[in-house]
Amino acid sequence: MKLLLGRASVLLFFALLFVFGLFIFTAKYVSNASAWAHYPTNQHLYAEGKLVSCGNIYDRRGSILCQVKDGEVKFHTDRAVRTAVMHATGDLYGNVMTGARVAFRERLSGWDMINGVYSFHKQAGAGRDLTLNLDADLCSVAYGELSGRKGAVGVYNYRTGEILCMVSSPSFDPETPPDIEAEPEKYQGVYINRFLSATYTPGSVFKLVTAAAAIEHFDNIEHILYHCEGGLQVGGDVVTCHTVHGSVNLERALACSCNAAFAQIASDLGAGILQEYAHAAGFNTSLEVDGIRTAVGRFDASDAVGADLAWSGIGQYTNTANPLNFMAYMGAIANDGVRITPRIVKDKGIFSLINFSAVEKKRVLSSETAQRLKRMMRNNTISEYGEDNFRGLELCAKSGTAQVGGDKKPHAWFAGFLDRDDYPLAFVVVIENGGSGASVAGPIAAKVLQAAVQ
Amino acid sequence: MSSVVFLEKLKRIWILFEELSCSAGSFFTHFGLVTDLYTFLVRWIFPVLAITIFLRCILPLLQNRGRKIVWGHLHMQDGTSVPLQHWENSIGRSRLADIVIDLPFVSRSHAVLTFRNGKWSIADLKSKNGVEVNGRRIEATEILRNGDIISIGGVKMELVLANREKGGLPQQQNSFEAPLRQDVGAGYFHEISQNSNAVRAPLAMRRSGSRQTFFLILLFQVLGGLQLFFSMGVEANPVVPLSFFLFILAECVHYSIMSWCGWKHLELELLCYFLCGLSLSVTASAASDSLLTQLTAILLGFAAYTVLLVILHDLERAERLKHFLAAVALVLLILNLAMGETHFGAKNWLDLGFVTFQPSEFVKIAFVLVGTATLDKLLTTRDMSAFIGFSAVCIGALVLMRDFGTVVVFFGTFIVIAFMRSGDMRTIALAVTGAALGTVAAVSFLPYIASRFAVWGKVWEHASTSGYQQTRTMIAAASGGLLGVGGGEGYLAQVAAADTDLIFGLLAEEWGLLVALTAILVPVFLAFYAVFLTKDCRSSFYAITACGAASIFLIQIALNVLGSVDIIPLTGITVPFVSRGGSSMVASWGLLALIKSADNRF
Ligand SMILES: [Zn+2]
Repeated sequence: MKLLLGRASVLLFFALLFVFGLFIFTAKYVSNASAWAHYPTNQHLYAEGKLVSCGNIYDRRGSILCQVKDGEVKFHTDRAVRTAVMHATGDLYGNVMTGARVAFRERLSGWDMINGVYSFHKQAGAGRDLTLNLDADLCSVAYGELSGRKGAVGVYNYRTGEILCMVSSPSFDPETPPDIEAEPEKYQGVYINRFLSATYTPGSVFKLVTAAAAIEHFDNIEHILYHCEGGLQVGGDVVTCHTVHGSVNLERALACSCNAAFAQIASDLGAGILQEYAHAAGFNTSLEVDGIRTAVGRFDASDAVGADLAWSGIGQYTNTANPLNFMAYMGAIANDGVRITPRIVKDKGIFSLINFSAVEKKRVLSSETAQRLKRMMRNNTISEYGEDNFRGLELCAKSGTAQVGGDKKPHAWFAGFLDRDDYPLAFVVVIENGGSGASVAGPIAAKVLQAAVQ
Repeated sequence: MSSVVFLEKLKRIWILFEELSCSAGSFFTHFGLVTDLYTFLVRWIFPVLAITIFLRCILPLLQNRGRKIVWGHLHMQDGTSVPLQHWENSIGRSRLADIVIDLPFVSRSHAVLTFRNGKWSIADLKSKNGVEVNGRRIEATEILRNGDIISIGGVKMELVLANREKGGLPQQQNSFEAPLRQDVGAGYFHEISQNSNAVRAPLAMRRSGSRQTFFLILLFQVLGGLQLFFSMGVEANPVVPLSFFLFILAECVHYSIMSWCGWKHLELELLCYFLCGLSLSVTASAASDSLLTQLTAILLGFAAYTVLLVILHDLERAERLKHFLAAVALVLLILNLAMGETHFGAKNWLDLGFVTFQPSEFVKIAFVLVGTATLDKLLTTRDMSAFIGFSAVCIGALVLMRDFGTVVVFFGTFIVIAFMRSGDMRTIALAVTGAALGTVAAVSFLPYIASRFAVWGKVWEHASTSGYQQTRTMIAAASGGLLGVGGGEGYLAQVAAADTDLIFGLLAEEWGLLVALTAILVPVFLAFYAVFLTKDCRSSFYAITACGAASIFLIQIALNVLGSVDIIPLTGITVPFVSRGGSSMVASWGLLALIKSADNRF
């Protein structure tokens, strides 16, 4: 029988093939089971494509943003509020991929690999509740201020990372979804949370990156004067300013957003150093907000020479920025150069105690550079944006008016932070094709921030 | 994280008790709560029980104790003694021979020493230097008597036969005729290096061990039946507890009969009891109307198993059965082709008026038996034409029936048996190439097969059409997690064929991934077990039946499980012992008998 024993090994070979197949399945199961369980046809969790077996979503003050009552999904009682936070909660059918109902569906449904979708006595409520860091009323204010213009508003606490306001426009009332296809222009990209997932040409707000490089690479930067005659000849091209600024130092150049001065600075720094500071500021990488990856803003000056390099230092050329990522850079300047990654989910007591790494920190600027940028940004408000417009906020900010080419209006940016210990808030406002940053985005920021500190 | 979940659970339970104490509460809310509490507790017990049962069954089966049986000895010239451990012993220079004589004038495969019809005989395998018995050169085969001197290429040895009365001492008169009339069992052999007293104690322990395992299986089934009953709530069907009760009763009777007959190593049967219990559970979930049919099939399975085992125990009877079953199989296949009925695209059902069944399931048993050969035939004639012809007929008939899953099962098993018989890699390579070409042809010419291949690996893109079954299986498996949502609480049961083709998803959803994986590891174990048995098998006949039957189990479960979760293309095929279906159940028990008969110990 020794002979047959050897030959019977073909059966063992089959058995091993099967075990190998099972191994592949198990590996797939471990990595994909959550996605399988949350497929919208799963009757354990979904009804007609709507996630119904789930806990409630609350905002930071405990008001209900989303709940399931008698099998029906109900959002916030106030139509304005639920429209404003629609991108945070997600819509009925899971079209907003970064919305909590999709991005945090596992926490909401209570699914885990050990128990599956099992929940004890479903009648008493299934799944687990989720509390967001958002302030629903603040979001509502921000969405109201956008008044239908496309764009995003974000506010977060740069010490703790809590995102208090996250608004993307256009939005809609999630309880009565409109016919998106009927009005493609109005609802263009409506399922995208522009704050997390869009990128825009940054324009002059990028000067805060160039300025950081200048501070660290030029000795005596305060005493260097740049001469603006309404533009600067770089190579064969001219980098234009909207007016003649005369002789300006860095602080003045930032305040009046002098392109000529920053064109000169960018040319003097060179592509390599700009690239390095852009990277530190969060360009070319995405942030992970409780597992949601933001869109990646791009900065690539490696092939840029002459006027292209100059324009890239002013935030034009091929640059793009993600609003949340840029807001986090504002937070880093405010927080002595340490960037706290923004967070949308408010942790429950026990969880945050166990998990010390809950706050993700990264130093992106030296403390001294951050201090100097902060003073310069404070000066921007005082000398340019008007302290009266931001009374009591201790606002440090930078506007941006990003040219997008063609006959379209520029994107309006306004980004910065409050230099206040009681309200350590950084913010960003972007209006798509909104026009001038200071005059269009600035007032929105003022309203939202005033609401935030009340 | 889990602590949060736990607190959340506590909170919910507390709320519930508050509700209960406040409101008078109708009977139904109370009933619902009791059910939920029950599920909450037992869903942790099922995986523990399943894994314990599995381990308690497989470990004793893989022990060596009592497996080596010595039927006699060859006393060599140098004074050493070589035990004869099989009914068929090959002698030769090859290191794969049972009795190795490593001398240059001995052929690689020189002779076979065979015990058949109560007589020992020796066959010359066309060796170069021939075989002599008592100094006389033999032609082909020669009957041997105790004390005969055999000369293999000049090496002389004396045949000394074992005897049960004298504890293994050779006995002179008619020592080989007597035992035959006993039904072999604990017959005329002794166990190597152990006297019977030393063996008795562990055997007693082992038997009580098997009884405890049986008890655990019954516990699983009682708890599972209650879970299913509770899950149905107010519409609870009394057939559920009834069929579980009858099933448990039948198991007890069957087990007692086997113990009473002195059959040992009942862990093999226990494993299959366990799987049959699962089949009742999935039937209760998906098609509770068929519960009694399924129960009947299990009882028929018990009967078929016992009868087949008794017949197979005698090699002569087994050989006769082989020819009978081959003829029956051919008749069944012809009937099937002539008047078969089509279910789910395959024309593999036969309606005889009083009963509807799938002939191809029973053909499996005949197929394995036709593939068998005793070692002397296997080494002398090397002729497989009968087996190849029978296989061609079976596979051809199955192709005509469009039962392509079963085609793969038969073909895979053909490879296993053909290789065991020939040991020829080239034949196998040729067969595999042919099969590959056949697959290509099937995919190109049969749109039904082509669509299965087209969706393979992309089921989520076709989740509501051709990938429906696979995606639903994966959704169900993921919903169940490791512990399951509780018997009868799943949604996959509503999908067609959930209790046959998608059984893995159904088990994983309701009873948890751990129980499902444990269940599908049983056929894997049976494959290992069959190979393990081969080493000490009495006859190559049984080695081939065991490996062939295990191969059928293994390929079926592999096609079913891996197909339903999109690792390979989906084929509609049943899982032995677990899927709902009478023919499959009875045939599975029949095939199990083929494995069991290879174990010398029972
Ligand atoms: Zn200028």
